[in-house]
Amino acid sequence: MSDGRDRSKLPMPDPPFSGSVGRTIGDSAPDWGIIDDAGPPAGAPNVLLVLIDDAGFGQPSTFGGPIATPNCTRMAEGGLRYNGLHVTAMCSPTRAALLTGRNHHTVGYGSVGEFTGPFPGYSAMRPKDCAPFPQVMQLNGYATAAFGKWHLTPAHVQGPAGPFDRWPNGWGFDYFWGFLAGESGQWDPMIYENNSVDRVYGGPGDRDFYLPDAMTDKTIEWIHGVTAHNDAKPWFAYYSTGCAHAPHHVPKQWSDKYKGMFDAGWDVYRERAFARQKELGVVPPDAVLTPRPDAMPAWESLSENEKRLYARQMEVYAGYQENADHNVGRILDELERMGTLDDTLVIWIWGDNGASLEGTITGSFNELTMPNGIPLTAEQQLQLTLKYGGLEAWGGPSMNPHCSAAWAWAGNTPFQWGKQVASHLGGTRDPMVVHWPARITDAGGLRTQFTHVIDVGPTILDIAGLPQPVEVNGIAQRPVHGTSFQASLTDARAPEHRTQQYFEMYGNRGIYKDGWWAASMLPRIPWVVTPEIMKNFAPGVFDPATLEWELYYLPDDFTQARNLAADQPGKVQQLNDLWWAEAEKYGALPLLGGLSAFFGVVPPLSAKTRWTFWGADVQDLSQGAMPPIHNRSYTITADLVIPDGGADGVIVANADAMGGYALFVQDGRLRHTYSFMGALIFQQVADTPLPTGNVQVAMDFTADAAVMAPGGTVTLSANGQVIGKGRMDHTVPILFSAYSGLDIGRDNGEVVDRAYEDKAPFPFTGIIEKVTFDIRPPADPGAHAALHQAQHQGQQARHTES
Amino acid sequence: MSDTEFDVIIAAYLIPDLAEKDFDALVRLVGDKQVKVEGVALVINDADGNVSVKETGDHLGRKGLEIGAGVGLVVGLLAPPLLASAVIGGAAGGLIGKFTRHRVESGLEDKMGAALPPGSAGVVAIYDRGKAGTVDGTLINAVRKSVAQVDGHGAKKLKAALGEAQTGLAG
Repeated sequence: MSDGRDRSKLPMPDPPFSGSVGRTIGDSAPDWGIIDDAGPPAGAPNVLLVLIDDAGFGQPSTFGGPIATPNCTRMAEGGLRYNGLHVTAMCSPTRAALLTGRNHHTVGYGSVGEFTGPFPGYSAMRPKDCAPFPQVMQLNGYATAAFGKWHLTPAHVQGPAGPFDRWPNGWGFDYFWGFLAGESGQWDPMIYENNSVDRVYGGPGDRDFYLPDAMTDKTIEWIHGVTAHNDAKPWFAYYSTGCAHAPHHVPKQWSDKYKGMFDAGWDVYRERAFARQKELGVVPPDAVLTPRPDAMPAWESLSENEKRLYARQMEVYAGYQENADHNVGRILDELERMGTLDDTLVIWIWGDNGASLEGTITGSFNELTMPNGIPLTAEQQLQLTLKYGGLEAWGGPSMNPHCSAAWAWAGNTPFQWGKQVASHLGGTRDPMVVHWPARITDAGGLRTQFTHVIDVGPTILDIAGLPQPVEVNGIAQRPVHGTSFQASLTDARAPEHRTQQYFEMYGNRGIYKDGWWAASMLPRIPWVVTPEIMKNFAPGVFDPATLEWELYYLPDDFTQARNLAADQPGKVQQLNDLWWAEAEKYGALPLLGGLSAFFGVVPPLSAKTRWTFWGADVQDLSQGAMPPIHNRSYTITADLVIPDGGADGVIVANADAMGGYALFVQDGRLRHTYSFMGALIFQQVADTPLPTGNVQVAMDFTADAAVMAPGGTVTLSANGQVIGKGRMDHTVPILFSAYSGLDIGRDNGEVVDRAYEDKAPFPFTGIIEKVTFDIRPPADPGAHAALHQAQHQGQQARHTES
Repeated sequence: MSDTEFDVIIAAYLIPDLAEKDFDALVRLVGDKQVKVEGVALVINDADGNVSVKETGDHLGRKGLEIGAGVGLVVGLLAPPLLASAVIGGAAGGLIGKFTRHRVESGLEDKMGAALPPGSAGVVAIYDRGKAGTVDGTLINAVRKSVAQVDGHGAKKLKAALGEAQTGLAG
């Protein structure tokens, strides 16, 4: 398929002018060859790469799960199922590995994208000598675009100041429409288009909006546009759903399809899914279903209320995923209508880390209660669910729900554990379907080759006839680690293209070699990051040599059910040694580098104490760019002009009723509402109306003590006069939202105080000249440093759940 | 006039059929004369927001707080519009004005409505304080409960107690 062009150095050099130029046209010889619209070699197909978030091997019906995925099945029946595809056990790391063809630590993503770290394997800074394959495709003449979840841009560069080389366009996508964070509300997403915020869609003013529908429309629109402009130019679309990451948001008609389906509980779920997996042949007939770990309760041990709540959680989670299948199906239908589906390479990966265990055992009405250290009992979850609309509202915009970890474990049938747990297949193996009728002749076939997401990019380039470049933008490139599995498309017995692979995520380690798999899970339940647990892994305390390995032989034990470590100590030692060698080679060291904040490795203290916003045109500021008010005393001051007759509206709002704060004026009075992650709501109202004219209002929070999540007093003032007082017994220590922004002069998306929801975004009707945040760190430097460290530990803990 | 002291309990349920189960259990206790009540009501707000009410109490033939005789005591005090239409309907049209007045005076229906979103249910009972433990143990599937003492006799006292219980539930 080579066209003779040297594609080893990108961008390709301009073609030389082989004509001649004289004084006149008559004296000149033209050469149209200088108009270089270099495309990929002839026959390079369109490519649709679909990645579903936070989903497990045992969920889609295509692989035996109970969630109806007819479109994925349609692709599998016209293409191939791969039951040996591996991921890294975490969102950003899998995405970084997928898009670069290199191991996640090598490209700086030993942890998630928001959280930069001081070790190369954990920096969230992709080295420039590791060009992503979409950039390679772009520089070879593909049209490229990404839609939906990104999660590879560090939090501190997510704003108008950039820099933008770490945004999607900088990774080789001509066009991006989606969200940068690790998750998004599906009802009110803050959408970025290329290098800036587009706007917040949906929310109280547009209840018909649903992100999966919109991103599908955008994808189809982009394909239509590219095709209309130049139908000879192949395209690459990366369609990355926010589904099935929390918050689990889906219209009721999708979740209600599953009413009653999960009433028998997660133990029965696993048994049934396992049986179907065997019927389908995606699990060998001699496979053994792994048992329920002690961390998960038996379904029959639950109260009736708990069973009903948890069953509804799974109904919503299932409907959410079926909707994702439906929306991918819309793209496929459109390609079929356009007559291009059969010559489009579709690679569909159902999950980037297995299903997420981060909902804890109870699940939550608000997924961010747990990361903020607000542990809620089942009883409290029931009460708060009732408060925010009951089971019928689960999945709607009034809550940000997550399901029980036990459902995630069930969703990873037949394997052990799930997300974060890179030592075991529950976190590292997900379904993959490849559809390409133009090449695949064994429609409906099964492929069992051990495959990893680092192999996907090299396979796509291989199929497109594009070589791995040795240089991109003048920078010599490191070799990719992935290898093409193109041979398996046409040959079920194609040789194993990958005989060895290491795994590591937050100290959970795995190593695969010629069928053997050694697994060492850090002795920590994935959703527990308490100081009591984490101190066990501190320098001077933690000795990885004391951690035990389990040993499995996958050709005989598909599910990792039979631990052979006791019988094979030599093999265990061999794989242990290999793991350390691979970890060093690919940058996974230091071990626990992704949790280093717990051990005192935190960024330098910032001296900045004032943040100023010069008007109501500051909108949708991302979480990484906001004033860090958590765990500090602070004052918000606003210089207003209030017209005769008064003004109403929001002065400043951050996030929403599931966690956030708003300073606003209603009925002429200054008000402050603070949502303690929806579990508690604190409100203060001024005793007197605001005056008109130039008015300086302020909200001061004075913390009781220099501790995490402090209580404290709130004082409202106008022109220096106290007009209201109140108290907040608890404050949010880590973050209000993973995706909702800070707005001056309005409250975009879901609102903080639902008392003004009917007026949303409730824009301020006066003039806002300036809003200032003054943050007062503790006077005691030691207390300041301790808070700084604790806060970063909390942020890191939160990011282990992204 | 009875000397019995009464409590009011409002129990909120996430699952309507569990509320019904507890309601039936409490009514059985009343029938077995293990608990003395002035009224017990089951309020169900179904998934579509349709409210239905089942009540018992007065037909048990006791004299206690001396209000609501001949009608549902709890319903009479709550009497939100939906309850009025569901329970009173056309058959007791002559009582509508009375219930409406109660609704307006008590102002309780908004709180009750907020506490019972679609797809949920509540049980309201006015019972002999001496059996508080039995009642609490019977309404075992409630996810929230709020209890207030009826401080004295008469409709105003009862409404006050009911209001207090509702406030506790909403908190």
